Amino acid sequence: MKNRLEELRRARGLRQEELADALEVSRQTIGSLENGRYNPSILLAFKIARYFGMSIEDIFIYEEDVK
Amino acid sequence: MRRKKTLYTALMAAGMVFLLGALAAWKLSAPDKFGGMLTGVGSGLLAMGAANWRMLRWAERDPVQMRRDEIAANDERTVAIRRRAQAVSGEVLQWGVMAAAWLFIGFGAPLWITLAAVGVFLGKSVLELCLMVQYQREM
Repeated sequence: MKNRLEELRRARGLRQEELADALEVSRQTIGSLENGRYNPSILLAFKIARYFGMSIEDIFIYEEDVK
Repeated sequence: MRRKKTLYTALMAAGMVFLLGALAAWKLSAPDKFGGMLTGVGSGLLAMGAANWRMLRWAERDPVQMRRDEIAANDERTVAIRRRAQAVSGEVLQWGVMAAAWLFIGFGAPLWITLAAVGVFLGKSVLELCLMVQYQREM
């Protein structure tokens, strides 16, 4: 699943540590989310969406597997 | 914070008392088991109290870093990684025990060793099944 987390964070001039503190997760989690290595739980996805004042779909882009 | 500090100080004091008790038991030629028990409990309490007290001092000096460390230890990705590692290591260990059971047969080890290894394998499998049933009810 792709996301716009890095883009949104940079647009707000935040460092990974600052975003991590605000969302109460580790900086490594933010890094993994931005790299697409980790997909957040629905709770964290809501938390991120609320923090940026957007909907989950605006931040996380679900791509169906092409079979 | 102050309450925690008192608790850890009390733990350390209790540990010291147990260790002094062990020393007294040794001087009074009390049974070794008794002295050993007091030493074990005393050093455990002392170490636990001292370690937690030290952590508390750290937290007082750098509360921001301490909060970050707390979050890092419990955030969902860390928990997911820990659980995955625990599950995989458990699985590897379970099959390792089964492989060991075969090796024991090959080396002509006493039957109870092989049976114990198979028992561990079966015990883990049964526990896994019970937990799966429980979690299926809960989730």
